Amino acid sequence: MSHQNDGTHYGGYNAPAHESKPDMEYICADCGANNTLKSRDLIRCRECGHRIMYKKRTRRMVQFEAR
Amino acid sequence: MPPSTFKTVEREKAFKHPSKTGHSYPILNEFVAPHLESFNALFPEGNDPGLLALGIKDIGKRVVFDGKGSTESGSRQASWGNRLSMWIDSISVSRPLVPEKDKAVKERKVFPSEARERLSSYRGKLQISLSWQVNDSTVRSTNKDCGSIPIMVRSKRCNIKETPSAELVQRHEEPEEFGGYFIVNGNERLIRYLIVPRRHHVIALIRPSFVNRGPAYTRFGVSIRCVRIDQTSVTNTLHYLSNGSAMMRFSWRKQEYVIPIMLILKALISASDKEIFEGIMMHDYENTFMMDRVELLLRSFKTYNLQTGTQCLEYLGDKFRVVLGQPEDWSNQMLGTWLIDTLILVHLPNPRDKFQLLLFMIRKLFALVSGDTCADNPDSPQHQEILLPGFLYGMIIKEKLAEALTQVRMNISMDVAREVSTVDFFDERYISKVLSKVSFDVGAKMSNFLATGNLVSQTGLDLQQASGFTIVAEKLNWQRYISHFRSVHRGAFFAELKTTTVRKLLPESWGFICPVHTPDGTPCGLLNHLSRSCRITTTTLAVDHIPALLFSRGMTQTHAAVLDGRNNVCVQLDGRVIGWASPPIAKRLATDLRAWKTQGLHKVPLDLEIGYVPASKGGQYPGLYLFSSAARMMRPVKYLPNGRPDSIGPFEQVYMEIACTPDEINPDVSTHVEENPTNFLSILANLTPFSDFNQSPRNIYQCQMGKQSMGVASTAIRHRTDNKMYDLQTGQTPVVRPVLHNTYGMDSFPTGTNAVVAVISYTGYDMEDAMILNKSAHERGFGYGSIYKSHIIDLKTERGASRGSAANLHFGMGRDIRRDDDIREVIHEDGLPLVGTRVAPGDCIATYIDDTTHRTVRHKYHSDEVAYVDTVRLLGNDTGDSELQKVHITLRIPRAPVIGDKFSSRHGQKGVCSQKWPAVDMPFSESGMQPDVIINPHAFPSRMTIGMLVESMAGKAGAMHGLAQDATPFTFSEEDTAIDYFGKQLRAAGYNYYGNEPMYSGITGEEFAADIYIGVVYYQRLRHMVLDKFQVRTTGPVDPVTRQPVKGRKRAGGIRFGEMERDALIAHGTAFLLQDRLMNCSDYSTAWVCKTCGSMITLGYDDLMTTTRSGSLSQGVGGPGGEYCRVCRAKAEEAKASPATDGSDIRLQVPSEYVLRSPKAGEMDIIAVPYVFRYLCAELASMGIAISLEVA
Repeated sequence: MSHQNDGTHYGGYNAPAHESKPDMEYICADCGANNTLKSRDLIRCRECGHRIMYKKRTRRMVQFEAR
Repeated sequence: MPPSTFKTVEREKAFKHPSKTGHSYPILNEFVAPHLESFNALFPEGNDPGLLALGIKDIGKRVVFDGKGSTESGSRQASWGNRLSMWIDSISVSRPLVPEKDKAVKERKVFPSEARERLSSYRGKLQISLSWQVNDSTVRSTNKDCGSIPIMVRSKRCNIKETPSAELVQRHEEPEEFGGYFIVNGNERLIRYLIVPRRHHVIALIRPSFVNRGPAYTRFGVSIRCVRIDQTSVTNTLHYLSNGSAMMRFSWRKQEYVIPIMLILKALISASDKEIFEGIMMHDYENTFMMDRVELLLRSFKTYNLQTGTQCLEYLGDKFRVVLGQPEDWSNQMLGTWLIDTLILVHLPNPRDKFQLLLFMIRKLFALVSGDTCADNPDSPQHQEILLPGFLYGMIIKEKLAEALTQVRMNISMDVAREVSTVDFFDERYISKVLSKVSFDVGAKMSNFLATGNLVSQTGLDLQQASGFTIVAEKLNWQRYISHFRSVHRGAFFAELKTTTVRKLLPESWGFICPVHTPDGTPCGLLNHLSRSCRITTTTLAVDHIPALLFSRGMTQTHAAVLDGRNNVCVQLDGRVIGWASPPIAKRLATDLRAWKTQGLHKVPLDLEIGYVPASKGGQYPGLYLFSSAARMMRPVKYLPNGRPDSIGPFEQVYMEIACTPDEINPDVSTHVEENPTNFLSILANLTPFSDFNQSPRNIYQCQMGKQSMGVASTAIRHRTDNKMYDLQTGQTPVVRPVLHNTYGMDSFPTGTNAVVAVISYTGYDMEDAMILNKSAHERGFGYGSIYKSHIIDLKTERGASRGSAANLHFGMGRDIRRDDDIREVIHEDGLPLVGTRVAPGDCIATYIDDTTHRTVRHKYHSDEVAYVDTVRLLGNDTGDSELQKVHITLRIPRAPVIGDKFSSRHGQKGVCSQKWPAVDMPFSESGMQPDVIINPHAFPSRMTIGMLVESMAGKAGAMHGLAQDATPFTFSEEDTAIDYFGKQLRAAGYNYYGNEPMYSGITGEEFAADIYIGVVYYQRLRHMVLDKFQVRTTGPVDPVTRQPVKGRKRAGGIRFGEMERDALIAHGTAFLLQDRLMNCSDYSTAWVCKTCGSMITLGYDDLMTTTRSGSLSQGVGGPGGEYCRVCRAKAEEAKASPATDGSDIRLQVPSEYVLRSPKAGEMDIIAVPYVFRYLCAELASMGIAISLEVA
């Protein structure tokens, strides 16, 4: 729905934004479906229309010193 | 092997497979029942229209005239013009639903968890149907939207009402969720119970302040709080005047009015003087005291020259026409009738009943004055009831709707007065235009009421306070959470009262209000908690047949020809005089009713309160008072004559003999026996093990500390967005616990850990309530906890956000952040932090792009603690049609126990961890056991918490035998002692009978001279932790005005070194320290002082460059930087014309040794002064006061 809007919103940022901006995946707080959201997409689950998303835990290694 | 007494497997099963049909602990629903039932009472159910519908009916009609005389109508009507009347026809409240705008959504219902997580409110639409009629034409109506009102969770209008555990878990709720609260802006808030005077009972009062009400007023009065069927109330007070007459007081729109009682008596039923005389005297002609007063009453009314009831009504209507604001075309008589209907004894619709009750009030008043009866205590639960949340909610909705309706009338009459041309009552467009001008948004007002607890009201709702009605249901731990729903407040008004009488614990409150569970300090005795078994009635019982029933059993009817007041007492049902009976008959009626209600005969409801007050000399006014209304406290006991359960209230309890245990039953006296001797305690007080062994204040302290301990606050912690949540990692079920621990399912939410506790003075680090923690216990996770904090980023409120609807800030990372920038390690392209990442103070936690500047803005984490990102929630808006503007980040702050953290046992024995002692150096027992915690023996003698000692023994034996020990109070006796019971268990486990053991020093390895008392005690970790409290600074921010250090831990401020501390330093003669604290480390500054005039504020600078060049400019000799005194130089110039005078007002001497620098060439010296002093000088100068420092 808002895919077309992306270009117009950016104004001076006409450069291929999609290249550097990978789609992020989020989890719907109600049905648990995976949702791919771009920047400036509506916060609404594609499956159930719920209005809360959780960010997924990072796949990167998270390591802290154990002290 | 016998089944586990800890029921671990059952509990695990219940958590893994929550019930699909109901709850595991249905008893939890009981203690929010009054909240829910009172809220449900607002809405229709079967034949009951609901309180809201009754309320709008009571609002009545608003009438306005257009002043356009029409020839067809009657002559009187003509002058007024067309008559427009408006009223609210019906009202409806919907369940919380997604707005209709949103088409894409699958589930239309909104669930509480969404409201919590999205930080919005859980509310349903309020709609009314507004009707109007012009003259006698057809009625027209329109639907009006009144916004959305917050809905109580699990009420009739809630989407998870009666949902079983399994589904609740799916809905992200607690499996045992019981509701009873509202969700406003993501916060759980509840309306607290408030104590109000008992309805429909005449209370005799002696108040010295009554005298100030006017001339002839005395201390005496009787008062009654009357409640309409929609639960709104009016209080009527009858004052005794020293001239023998009585005045009726009521309030209307917060304004108080008094009317002579005779006026009302006559207006009600057009009573003749004889009727009134006989009604009050009741053939008691020997009572000259009463006779005199009745005579005066009747005589004094002759001055009004009003004979008939109509005359009285007209008189009343005439006097009150302006204030009442009723239709202008009403006659005085109609107004008078309306006044009496709406403001005098409103619980009785029938004027004859009102008349009867007024006569009774007068009789009671005269009895009070003559000393035949005593004053009733309004602080006693006997004369109190509870203002229920739902009823209050309904009252406010009613008032807001009435206000809106009045507003409409005002607008129209204003239009009429201003002769606006569009005014046309027959034009629907005009009406809808007026309606659109008036705010009908009741929803916003209700949300505001719940969010702030402030009552904005024109009438005051017959309440004594205007704020503090709602509280946040903090989920700090389970005990605190459930206590909120059982707390009863006496009223904010009493908190300011200097007298402490209202705070006293009265014997009348036994069984209704817990004597143990009240906070110490300011709210002590005002904020109470209901006893465990105390219920609050929420419905009005069906009692219409009771008067006939009593009549058939010997009660005399009210209209009997001859009634002797001397040997008859009044029988009242909900404040209505239903008859008279002689004391023996009245007593028999009471006994009969009790037998019937316990046995369910004659349809007498069990919750009927039968208050038989026997005749006495100077005691409470006798009579048989029956109560069937809602909002009364009731509790279950057993009725001895038939052994059946009875339900009793605080009014009747005073005249009962209730044995605490079956052993205590005295066959001649006792009428009832408690179902359980611990029923008088609140839930929390019941959870203190062996509380009957402790000194009572210690149990009070435990009720405090139980509510402050860290524990498992919620099993749905992932879905909670509380500002701050405490979580205990390894909570355990206590080995020693009362039976009720299981009954209430407390094991789902443990609040502590079982610890091996040795009572020994070991290292000296256990002095003064400090406790030593075994370092190995700490490393095994003893008391490990975390804090979950909410961090909300709302781009709409961020700096640089545009005011318009289109957002100009967007979460994300722009191209202006380099690929190798450090923040890419923490934050993704979407501008949100990685889940699981660590954030330190000052770190960037989110980024957003500003459309206007095209730059990426870094949002920083401002706190002084390292935290981990636990959850990142992306929050949409109500309709799901906005891009990301609001983010909720849950941060987890690890909190391992450190030195300075507070712990406590369950016996009011709190202490601070003073050392984490290495395990090798801890003392050990013969079996090699080491204590987890060491406390000092001095903690016991003065505090007398024997319960803790017993718990220690019981815990040790329970741990050895694998038993959950029953610690219910009042189970042991002098013959069968707890020490013996647990001592035998210990001996069976191979321990010393008394619980002490030989122990060896961990350092020397030698055996101690004395055996050490060691056992297992359940320890709570309290939420007060040093990391939240420590305050230290060397340098830091200063106040810009005084340049002294600021205060407050949050601002990195200092701790005040005040006058008393100063005194101590002076007394010690530590001058250097004094100088250091108050000067050098505070607002040290240097100032120039003029040697001549002593002024600090007249410093001027010569421009050295110009002076040296020209040389001729300088008058006096300036300092090395060209400093000079402007005043002195000006004076010197003036002196050439006239002699100068010293104009300073205050002189202070500064000895020469305090002068820091005295430039040889110059008229100014430098001295060190506190900066505030310089500020003071400037402030004084602004008021024309000069300060002169004599610099020697």
